[in-house]
Amino acid sequence: MTVTSALEQAGLLERDDVLDGLRRALADAAGGRGRMMLIAGEAGVGKTAVVEALCNEPNVRVFKGACDPLITPRPLGPFVDIADDAGGELQTVLESGASAHDIVSALLAETSGRRPAIVVLEDVHWADEATLDALRLLARKVDRAAVLVLVTYRDDELDRSHPLRAVVGELATRSTVDRITLEPLSEDGVAALAGDAKVDADELYRKTGGNPFFVTEVLAAGSGAIPPTICDAVLARAGRLTDGARNLLEAVAIAPPHVEVALLDALAGKDAGTLDECLAAGMLTASSTAVAFRHELTRLSIEEAIEPRRRLALHRRALVALSKPPHGAPDAARLAHHAEAAGDAEAVLRHAPAAAARASALRAHREAAGQYARALRFADSLDPEARARLLERYSDACYLTDRCYDAIAAVEQALDVYRTTGNRSKEGESLSLLSQLQMCPASSVEAEPAGRRAIEVLEQLPPGPALAMAYANLAAIRMNVEDAEGTATWANRAIELSERLDETVPLVHALNSLGVMEFLLHGPDHREKVERSLELARDHGLEVHVLRAYGNMAWAAVRHHAHELAEHYHAEGLAIAAEPDYDLWRLNLLATRSVLELEQGRWDEAAASATLATSDQRSSPLPRILGSVVLGLVRARRGDPSSRPLLDEARELAQPSGELQRIAPASAASAELAWLTGDTGAIDEITAQALSLAVERGAPWLVGRLACWRRRAGLDEPVAIAVPEPHALELAGRPEEAAAAWDRLGCPYDAAIARAGSDAVDALRRAHDDLMELGAHATAAVVARRLRERGVRGIVRGPRASTRANAALLTGRELDVLRLMSEGLSNAVIAERLFLSVRTVHHHVSSILRKLDVARRGEAVAAAHRLALLQDR
Amino acid sequence: METYVILRRGGWRTPEELKEAAARSTAEGDQLPDDIRWIRSYVLSEPDGALGTVCIYQASSPEAIRTHAYRAGLPVDEIVAVADTVVVRPDPTPVAA
Repeated sequence: MTVTSALEQAGLLERDDVLDGLRRALADAAGGRGRMMLIAGEAGVGKTAVVEALCNEPNVRVFKGACDPLITPRPLGPFVDIADDAGGELQTVLESGASAHDIVSALLAETSGRRPAIVVLEDVHWADEATLDALRLLARKVDRAAVLVLVTYRDDELDRSHPLRAVVGELATRSTVDRITLEPLSEDGVAALAGDAKVDADELYRKTGGNPFFVTEVLAAGSGAIPPTICDAVLARAGRLTDGARNLLEAVAIAPPHVEVALLDALAGKDAGTLDECLAAGMLTASSTAVAFRHELTRLSIEEAIEPRRRLALHRRALVALSKPPHGAPDAARLAHHAEAAGDAEAVLRHAPAAAARASALRAHREAAGQYARALRFADSLDPEARARLLERYSDACYLTDRCYDAIAAVEQALDVYRTTGNRSKEGESLSLLSQLQMCPASSVEAEPAGRRAIEVLEQLPPGPALAMAYANLAAIRMNVEDAEGTATWANRAIELSERLDETVPLVHALNSLGVMEFLLHGPDHREKVERSLELARDHGLEVHVLRAYGNMAWAAVRHHAHELAEHYHAEGLAIAAEPDYDLWRLNLLATRSVLELEQGRWDEAAASATLATSDQRSSPLPRILGSVVLGLVRARRGDPSSRPLLDEARELAQPSGELQRIAPASAASAELAWLTGDTGAIDEITAQALSLAVERGAPWLVGRLACWRRRAGLDEPVAIAVPEPHALELAGRPEEAAAAWDRLGCPYDAAIARAGSDAVDALRRAHDDLMELGAHATAAVVARRLRERGVRGIVRGPRASTRANAALLTGRELDVLRLMSEGLSNAVIAERLFLSVRTVHHHVSSILRKLDVARRGEAVAAAHRLALLQDR
Repeated sequence: METYVILRRGGWRTPEELKEAAARSTAEGDQLPDDIRWIRSYVLSEPDGALGTVCIYQASSPEAIRTHAYRAGLPVDEIVAVADTVVVRPDPTPVAA
């Protein structure tokens, strides 16, 4: 048996089920219902072998691309590969630097045709951000094309923060996407492969863990000995080749992902002649255009063993060869990689910033930051201000990938440069930028000193847009700490100067802060200024400022319990924030939306929003604080475990910020937990500081909330400022009227809590029922105790009544399906909405018809209305 | 994933009902493989003749347990987090294996 066929055999052993599944998906694709399959497994488990087997099916067209193991990968690398092979529209689109959206459209157009197409994207655990964006889009659009997309990745290399994790999680919820995990070979599989070879099959299985690549490397070396690592096995095999072939392997190994055939001579010289030997040995593979290693593990093993001086020489040669590619422009990312490895500073400074600029244009900010960092490692010889400009661009890329501290450190270095060169205007601008960056990971309190210094420096120069922006920045800082006077002072200066200079951005920014402050203080009737800011931002296409307006108004609307307005602003804001560059705003909006949903009694949704807001470990603490508060409260009220750690963490994070919007919710939530657990004695200390801050800032809703918790803990004290109606009524000892006021605002839980303060048995009973309805079992237990103290017997203790299925004994999932049936939707559409397969929906529908004892969908909907099954749960 | 004990008291009148519930539970659990794993259950013989369960699950959060229960139509009386496991002897052979 040849080495190559042994490899193929190993790759497909014990893969019949997987291949059957893939063939079914291909048949679906051929019928115009495109699919995406995510194929996961450890390195060497045989992902590529499975993909190849499918690509060899008759009558399919194959488009193949792979991500690179470069430290900083080429943006859109796999799509560049595909375009190189396919040419046409896709290549034109890619070379023009178009967006992920255009590229996916061009790819789908390219692949449409009479025969089904397979698009292969290999090794996406190395993917750049732009490729991940394209992958998301592809998953969304694939169902309308005759295309099967096969995506491979190593799932053992995805740590918690790996960007692919979130993408896989998101894709896996789509009904057009399936996940397959390839397991290593079984003991029997390894024994079958070993066949008559002179090795101990048990030992082979134990040492290789059934990894097909490792097993075949050992068998191919043919010595009978089993090396301890894959790397040793590969080197043992390479050791049996001629010197020339080993040289060629090394030359190809330093230039991932592959070496174009046309470059082979330039890179390997006369050793290129040994290509056939390497191919026959099964170490390299060749397509019509390029040569690559059969497996990345082989490449890595060979590369790591190259002697350092030879490595340097090879990279130098690659740098020369790649700067004159056979067609098209040179790839700056690959050049920068070899320039750094060759220690060629001048080449790094030429290629890395170019690669970074291209990555930024494609929104591959992580890769851009990597390239700028590479350039900065070689920037000592640069003119200081040129280095400062690199630092600024690096900072920007870091900020956009949530590396706030790196972004801040880079601007601080740039600031030092401008101080040294005496460039006052750039010094002022950098200070202002520094202050804006400091707001993100920390808080407004920490951002203020730099913001004030920026103004001092810029006020000594002729007034310009930078000064207007610095004023606007300070207004935003004072708005975040809810200092009305400070906000107005700085915003008015910014507005006055912006109007004099006819500058839009600082005007929009300052109007926003000023307007939001008025909205916060006086309620939804005072939105003219922030609405004007929104309109101006929209007219001038300032998307981020449109988003800022929606985000801030959403926050203020929630504060005033203006639910309809809040829903509207959240929807508008989240639609814009779907763009990856606006992650921080998206998380903030999710966090405030979770507060809104909690108030409305939609706790499943609140918990889901809060989980999204906190699961992304961003450096900004605000979404984390609010999300933890909401999730902690949902758990505490339901009597579910793990609420205290969340609420403690929220308070700890909020404390140093000096921002009322963080401190007050965290404090009120901790007070509620103390109340629920009977520890009312702790409430004084928990709320004292937050209350005095809320009084100082003049935030009546927050004062009212905190004052009521103190009153419920038995603290009888006057309240320093006038509070809104529901709080005022409760504090005045009129709990039932307070509850009615909360009901009018659409806050059912707040109403129940107010009612729970009543002495009347009827009010307590109603509070208890409403709390059970909300699923607030722990809170209901507190009320039940009060009822029992008043001699009331026979209160349902557990939650059984409310979680028990409804009259028709439908499950929750069946109710979800029934609700969509009542909208007249087909099974296919219902499947799409609920992320289920059509078959599963069909199954649910049959079950619904049976339980309702009807024969048709229309009758089921009628029965549902008759039995009032579709009222909100 | 954390381990939780879930009390579902008196949820079913007959073994058949319970069996159907178990099938739904498995089907819905398969839809949430990263969020929920059913480990084992003890079926309770309730004083009124009904059946309940004490279930051991691994889950990403208490909310995941509630979502799963809602979709599968299972009651939830209480969710308790497990701090530690002490296994003295293996479980006895299921009565109705």
